[in-house]
Amino acid sequence: MSPNHVSVQRGSKIVFVYALALLATAFFAFPIFWMVTASLKSDHNITAYPPVWIFFTPSLQNYVKLVEELGIVKMFINSAVIVGLSTCLAMACGTLAAYALARFDIKNKQLIAFEVLSIRMLPPIVSVVPMFILARWLGVFDTYWLLTAAYALSGLPFVVWVMRVFIQDIPQSIEEAALIDGCSRLETFWRVTLPLLMPGLAATMVIVFMFAWNEFLLASMLTSNAAKTLPVIAANTLNAKSIAWGMASAAGVVMSLPVVVLVLLMQRYLVRGLTLGAVKG
Amino acid sequence: MGIQIRNVQKRFGATTVVNGVSVDIAEGEFFVMLGESGCGKTTTLRMVAGLELPTSGSIHINGKDVTFAEPRHRDIAMAFQDYGLYPNMTVFENIAFPLKIRKVSPTDRRRKVEETAGKLGIADYLGRKPFQLSGGQRQRVSLARALVRNPKVFLMDEPLSNLDAKLRAVMRTEIKKLVSDLGITTIYVTHDQIEAMSMADRIAVMRRGDMVQVASPLEIYDRPLTRFVADFMGSPPMNLFPACLKSPARPTCEVQEFIDSIPDEERALIADRLDSTGQFSAGIRPEHLKLVEVGSAGSARAVVDFVEPLGQTTNVYLTAGETSFIAVTDRCRYHVGDAVGVYAPPEFVRVVAN
Repeated sequence: MSPNHVSVQRGSKIVFVYALALLATAFFAFPIFWMVTASLKSDHNITAYPPVWIFFTPSLQNYVKLVEELGIVKMFINSAVIVGLSTCLAMACGTLAAYALARFDIKNKQLIAFEVLSIRMLPPIVSVVPMFILARWLGVFDTYWLLTAAYALSGLPFVVWVMRVFIQDIPQSIEEAALIDGCSRLETFWRVTLPLLMPGLAATMVIVFMFAWNEFLLASMLTSNAAKTLPVIAANTLNAKSIAWGMASAAGVVMSLPVVVLVLLMQRYLVRGLTLGAVKG
Repeated sequence: MGIQIRNVQKRFGATTVVNGVSVDIAEGEFFVMLGESGCGKTTTLRMVAGLELPTSGSIHINGKDVTFAEPRHRDIAMAFQDYGLYPNMTVFENIAFPLKIRKVSPTDRRRKVEETAGKLGIADYLGRKPFQLSGGQRQRVSLARALVRNPKVFLMDEPLSNLDAKLRAVMRTEIKKLVSDLGITTIYVTHDQIEAMSMADRIAVMRRGDMVQVASPLEIYDRPLTRFVADFMGSPPMNLFPACLKSPARPTCEVQEFIDSIPDEERALIADRLDSTGQFSAGIRPEHLKLVEVGSAGSARAVVDFVEPLGQTTNVYLTAGETSFIAVTDRCRYHVGDAVGVYAPPEFVRVVAN
């Protein structure tokens, strides 16, 4: 075969691969595209047939309605505070617990680890009613505390199990070297172990954050007004009589933004974190 | 001064890993703990380091009881088998880390790191990360990190076992020179008898949590106390022949000629080294056996099984009666199946406990 022929063949192969990749991307990106455009359309344009693809006059009317009619700003703050706090709590407690389980000689270590995981095996719907009753008793119904605690607790097992593996991946001799170089246990954790855990922490945090951010069941049952979060309000746009497609789309966009920002911020660590363990060194 | 280990025991659950070890290590001494894997040598070292706490017994370093002290309060440095470098820090930061923790000023830090790195030949790599270094360079960094703060005691846990044979030989002499120049008390753990022989001031041969014999390298090589030590040291190892003491005047041995004329002081050791069934072993190093004419005075008759020329020396595998053994000679003219006389000079025959 002539060199020319080979390069043509290789060229067409590359084109084919890119076309396939584009197709796959388009398939997964289309709903997002549709959501974003729908949030900027008028109700008339949304339901128009044949569909209006791109040529419409964008307006922020849906977003204005979200703010004015549904008070989404307050819900956004609620969500941010509750999810932020619970993620931090779950990460801090979970990582420390994972460290203990990974490094220290604890009696019945496997059993403890399994107990922690078993919380995760319970379908959330089972715990909603008892939690509702408990919250009423304790007088924390419809407060930040309740959802924060609930999300922190449901994120905890995941953090413990995932971080335990990340910690076990760090050779023990690195920590022992630090102990001998003059660090206390806590200093060793802070100065040596934690920097090495960053990729794992980032990956775990994004997942815990997303889980709590999107959580609907607990949020809808355990709040009524003061501590209502975004998923609940997004669902409120759909009611028995009518579905406000524009507002629903706008709420979807508002909800997705923080996750997108977080993932972009953590991207540097994420790629390394998600492949750690697969590739050694 | 130095290190005193008193009756130290370590149990993990029902298994005893270190079984009441006691030893005094003098200041500036290079002390090697030698043994197979699982013999308790690393655990003993880790108890001196404070990474493991003894179940009972005590450890003193430079006159201070440190049995339960944290590692950082022991003034020790340690080199690990897998180096234990901080992967996210540069070589400079790695070496400077112990100084930083001890709040040494940045100018002093830089000076000391550069000085130590120069001594170990890694001054050119200070800006690199550990993963950009070869195994030998990594071990040098770990040694530099250990030595940078002039520790009183240096602990090394098989630091050379991840290196190839040639580099190991180079590093061996380098470490020995460096440590003895600085006069640091050193405990070195290895399973490699050549490392132990070449570096140690004193060797402790360990087995199943006990120190079987603690002595200078040549003493251990020349006068092993037990079969285990005799078998462990030397390549090929010492020839051992089952023997027993039926009458006090005349010990018997599988190759009787070897033991007939042993000197009186060696004969006097037999009573001490008998096991419960009245058995012991007669040992002789392969290089001390002489191949002579069949039937010459004091020699045993043997048949050549196999000849292994190694260039400098030749290993001759022999059988006398039912006992197989090895003689190391210069170049030899024997062939497989030849009958030879084997003479064991009495001054080299040893009484070894089973």
